[in-house]
Amino acid sequence: MRNVAETPLFQKRSFRLKCKKILVSIILLTGSLVILSPILWMLSTSLKTPGEIAQFPPTFLPEKFQWKNYIEAWNTAPFTRWALNTTFITFFVVIGNVLVNSFVAYGFAKIRFRGKNVLFIIVLSTMLIPGFVLLIPQYMLFSNLGWVNTYLPLIVPAFLGNAFYIFLLRQFFMTLPNEMIEAAKIDGANHFQIWWKIAMPLMKPAVITIAILSFNGAWNDFLGPLLYINDEKLYTLQIGLQTFKGTVQTQWHYLMAASVLVLLPVVLIFFFFQRYFIEGSNITSGTKG
Amino acid sequence: MKKIFVWALTLIMVTGLLSGCSETREESIEPKKTKDGKIILDFWTFWGSETRRPIIEKIVNDYNASQDKVFVKHTFLPWGDIWTKNLAAIAAGKPADVVINDINSVAHRAKNGQAENLSQYINDDGFKDKFYPELWKTVIHEGDPYAVPFNTDTRLLFYNKTAFKEAGLDPNKPPKTWKELETYAQKLDKKKGDQYERIGFYPLWGSFGPESWMMNADNGQGYIDEKGKVKVATKEKVQALNWIKGWNDRIGIDNINAYKADFGSEQSNPFIAGKVAMMVDVGTFYTQIRDYGKDMEFGVAPVPAISESDKNWSQGGGFVAEIPKGSDNPEEAWEFIKYLTDKEAQTYWATKNFDNVANKEASEKAMNMLKGTDQEIYKATVENLDVTKLHPVPVDSPDYQSKINPMIDSVLLGERKASDALKDAEESVESSVGQ
Amino acid sequence: MFIYEGGKKMDSVYVKSENKKSSKAVKKQKMEKRHFIKSLRHREELAGYLFIAPWIIGFLFLMLGPLLFSLYASFTNYNITSQMKFVGFENYKRMFTFDELFWTSLWNTLYYVVFSVPITTAGAILLAVFLNQRVPGIKWYRTLFYLPAVLSGVGVYLLWMQLLSPSTGLVNIALSWFGIEGPAWLYSPEWTKPALILMKLWSVGGGMLLYLASLQGVPKTMYEAAEIDGAGTFQKFFKITLPMITPVIFFDIVTSLIGGFQIFQEAYVMTENGDGGPVNSLLFYNLHMWNNAFEMFNMGYASSMAWMLFVIVMLLTVINLKIGKKWVYYEGGDQK
Repeated sequence: MRNVAETPLFQKRSFRLKCKKILVSIILLTGSLVILSPILWMLSTSLKTPGEIAQFPPTFLPEKFQWKNYIEAWNTAPFTRWALNTTFITFFVVIGNVLVNSFVAYGFAKIRFRGKNVLFIIVLSTMLIPGFVLLIPQYMLFSNLGWVNTYLPLIVPAFLGNAFYIFLLRQFFMTLPNEMIEAAKIDGANHFQIWWKIAMPLMKPAVITIAILSFNGAWNDFLGPLLYINDEKLYTLQIGLQTFKGTVQTQWHYLMAASVLVLLPVVLIFFFFQRYFIEGSNITSGTKG
Repeated sequence: MKKIFVWALTLIMVTGLLSGCSETREESIEPKKTKDGKIILDFWTFWGSETRRPIIEKIVNDYNASQDKVFVKHTFLPWGDIWTKNLAAIAAGKPADVVINDINSVAHRAKNGQAENLSQYINDDGFKDKFYPELWKTVIHEGDPYAVPFNTDTRLLFYNKTAFKEAGLDPNKPPKTWKELETYAQKLDKKKGDQYERIGFYPLWGSFGPESWMMNADNGQGYIDEKGKVKVATKEKVQALNWIKGWNDRIGIDNINAYKADFGSEQSNPFIAGKVAMMVDVGTFYTQIRDYGKDMEFGVAPVPAISESDKNWSQGGGFVAEIPKGSDNPEEAWEFIKYLTDKEAQTYWATKNFDNVANKEASEKAMNMLKGTDQEIYKATVENLDVTKLHPVPVDSPDYQSKINPMIDSVLLGERKASDALKDAEESVESSVGQ
Repeated sequence: MFIYEGGKKMDSVYVKSENKKSSKAVKKQKMEKRHFIKSLRHREELAGYLFIAPWIIGFLFLMLGPLLFSLYASFTNYNITSQMKFVGFENYKRMFTFDELFWTSLWNTLYYVVFSVPITTAGAILLAVFLNQRVPGIKWYRTLFYLPAVLSGVGVYLLWMQLLSPSTGLVNIALSWFGIEGPAWLYSPEWTKPALILMKLWSVGGGMLLYLASLQGVPKTMYEAAEIDGAGTFQKFFKITLPMITPVIFFDIVTSLIGGFQIFQEAYVMTENGDGGPVNSLLFYNLHMWNNAFEMFNMGYASSMAWMLFVIVMLLTVINLKIGKKWVYYEGGDQK
């Protein structure tokens, strides 16, 4: 197919392609400036002195960059400990979510069994009930199990399926050609092997998406740790951030600095994982060529 | 297929073990105890900031050092969310032993069975006299106390003395009545063309809302009187609302909105920046001027009264220490609350935090211990407590605000007449009291 | 409709290429397959239940109890801590006959859903298409556009309150560069909801991620084939890209509809004491419910509101699922 590269048609096309690329770049650049400005504001606040934050009208750039805010903010409370706790929880939550939800979603997408549609409607309907009417009974449940002040209420549910992720992965698995699965079966593979050796690798972008989303969810979870953890040593970063918010005065410079630090791992994770989102990286698209 | 289940199961078990082994796993049946046999008393507050935490923790540590039966364990929980968690814990039957909670909703919580009745522990008739009567009144439900007041606040008029001099006003004579407030404000306005460079005053900037001004006008009477009668559409309240509307008309809604957000943001403050010459705010606002105001010349005064013959009514709030219903150690909790609200701890809290405290003696003592401007301002706040009213949530109509506030909004936006809107609000609140 | 047609077209393209490749092999094995069908079906059923077992356990263990509890609570005067007396349909009656704020909150929520769902869906697709181009620095762009989605809850809302400040906020300052005098946003009843929609649009990166992932599944060969047929950029987008990602569009619409109805924290943080903003213009359904449950301790009533919402959203979701069958194209063959 690549031999067309020499023809005039292709040259014309490549010129148009270049124009398009430049246009796309310009749009993306402007867009990212708009998107970025609130975050720059946050960065700027994190580098100001409290005195400067109190100034009116606010300044755009700090008079003098207060890099020490970052160190001081981190040291006002046991943030390192809280970061480790958060990492611990997040690690298990991500593993649970990725494995279990893709497993369940495969079942809903590619296996025929009685009552599937009804069960799937039930999966969806669990998303429809606002969480906070379940909050009290769920707390009572975990409390009776003696799980309060442990990480179990935060981690175990991740191994028992999440409607949102199941639904999303099901949508992706549905696009797997049935023929491919039939062929694998004829080759003697069972569903477990098909799920692990075919569906998962083929749907890598979807699986990575779930990993990223559940990383965010666990890393930023506030209500869960707040309700179930009673011991400050077991706190997570999101609760830690709240220490800067006072009843009389909020320490904005510390709050913003610490928020940036808390945000950093999430951004890094995304940056490294997004390389899996390369056009046509799905093997399914390759098989059809 | 089994492999994955085994793996998942192992993970769950490993996690369980890890968190189980962590030093603080709760034993649910036996009361929690330290290694040396002291009863652990759970104490939840929202004081986690760098400034407040050391102060409350010193108070707790002093208490722990003073006796050998109980170990008070202080836990910080974020503001607001602490009460959601408190509710869940009470519902599950395993609450903390002492919680710091909002003073205005004590009766509301008591009615719903969330706090222990303290009358069984108070054997000293003089106990209630230690506190400001307005505060003590707020912790009573059907004749019994359900909490003990800890700290409180009050609102004062802050004014910029430099601006006063510039406008030819005597910086030692702040406005005393609404009328004076208006004439002062107009003198303090500074305009360049159509644009304001400085606005003298606008009633709703700071922390004195329509409800507060209406109370200030109505002889200190809030929306609902002590007998539970709804008093929303009184002549004075209508007058007050119209008065606020007058400010809106004069200054212009755009100019008002322009600063409103900044006053709410707790960041850049137009008053400290000299863009607004007078505002009503809580006494502790002083600490912000002190820390960020760069030698700003300012004064404080009681909130102006509607006329010379009226009092300078102000609005207050505060927090209480209470024992959540179902605490394992109510007696020990009570002993600790007694200590928290006694002279020594309260004085320490007051001087270190610049907070008004509920204990009268501690309040006086703190006033004498502070120095310079600190003392001057603190004195003003303490004196102001005499004219400070609290507005407890009415137990029969806890959602009264949500019925009245939209009506007030519509008046201030010029959509409705004050008398009509307040009448409607009154009826709406009355109907829910009847429910 | 165009999506549907596109799907059809795709179908034929796909079937053609697939036939060429594997028809022989399939034929050969068809005979052998028949023998196994009966025992296979049995094993298939078993495998199905095994696969969804974790969810079933989770549902029975974590959800069912609390769900039934809250359903029962909706017929009581449950106040979380001390009372739970059966009151029949009292709570449901109150919703329709007495509580005016119920209607206010429902109206506000509908307004928000009607505007935010299409806007954010379209925004996310568009963004994903742009971020799927091979231009220099694409990694960075993707990360940048995704950033808002990872910024967590409360802090972001506080940040936005600053940005939306009428005089000193970045939004209005930027508007003034174009000679537009920005509104008072959170202080003006007409602009509070648009402000939240704007904020939602800012964090569209989360939805973008889903589309980006699904765009990876669109076979390149399809574009190449279309180009040979002389299709332009827009034609390619509407005839190939869009139909191929319909499963995820469907997912996005269903879930953001559900999420839209449950908007809560924005309004809770960005109004004074979570009271619903100017003239109750930000009193969303869930905020009203929260205030009932945790401010007034009227959990019985809040539960009945929750179940009413369940009915409303369930209805819409079922409609969605029914319509979805018409326009969602699953390449894999299952048209469900």
